[in-house]
Amino acid sequence: MTVFRWGQHWHPFHDLEREVEGLLKRVNASIHGLRFGRQFPAVNLYELKDEFLLTAELPGITPDCLEITIAGGILTLKGERKVPEDCEVDRFRRRERYCGSWQRSLNLPEKIQEEKLAAEFNNGILRIHLPRAEEIKPRRIPVIEGKD
Amino acid sequence: MEPAKGVTMSSELICNEPPGEDRSREFDSERQIFTPPIDIFETEDGLVLLADLPGVTGETLELQIQDNKLTLFGRVKSLAPGDAPIVHREYEIGDYLRSFILSDDVDHKRITANFNHGVLKIVLPKAPRTAPRKIEVTTD
Repeated sequence: MTVFRWGQHWHPFHDLEREVEGLLKRVNASIHGLRFGRQFPAVNLYELKDEFLLTAELPGITPDCLEITIAGGILTLKGERKVPEDCEVDRFRRRERYCGSWQRSLNLPEKIQEEKLAAEFNNGILRIHLPRAEEIKPRRIPVIEGKD
Repeated sequence: MEPAKGVTMSSELICNEPPGEDRSREFDSERQIFTPPIDIFETEDGLVLLADLPGVTGETLELQIQDNKLTLFGRVKSLAPGDAPIVHREYEIGDYLRSFILSDDVDHKRITANFNHGVLKIVLPKAPRTAPRKIEVTTD
């Protein structure tokens, strides 16, 4: 581990930080790598220029057993993941995958053009494009003097 | 979850190989590696293994069997533009890796796999039991 390098700013903890980071990543791979005990499906929300992009991990779900609704700034995803066919419950040796019906409602951070919402589904990842609503011009509210 | 069961889930046909420290080093160390959730169930002919690998495509999935070790590795491409700020995060983008030790009772040659909607299904047929054979005993 080199601590000092010529021609560069001196970052004595940089290498140490990197080492620790790498170590934590490896711990994550062996312990937290098993992504148990979280809500199904897990979602991420990204902020792009003109839209928000919501991605959800939905492996094994087909578009026909998925329902997406939006109302009043709340986006709801709903569906069901069935027990694998040709399998009786008592024949499981190991069960880690989520199974059953699920529903998630998410509060959207901004006003969305609800009619322009578009969704696509690929390899078990759902992507929902949420275009931002046109900016609402600020309106000046006149204040009149009250007669008292 | 019973941790004791996690390491050797069944001594008969398949068991889980615990992730070793050196495993993740074989791959790009900058990326996160996750252990995908799996189901294993019995059928008439053997076992079926299902693994959730959302974001993996048929091209980025590698399934390998060496000696009696079955390894699955799935690479995930980020679906959002790399520099897009994230407002809410529940999952990290990373690759999937998990290994299993197969017993000799699995017919290695007849293992089949298919991948649909982010779920990998591996069929592990039982090796046919050999018929009892009578051994002639000779006397000198």
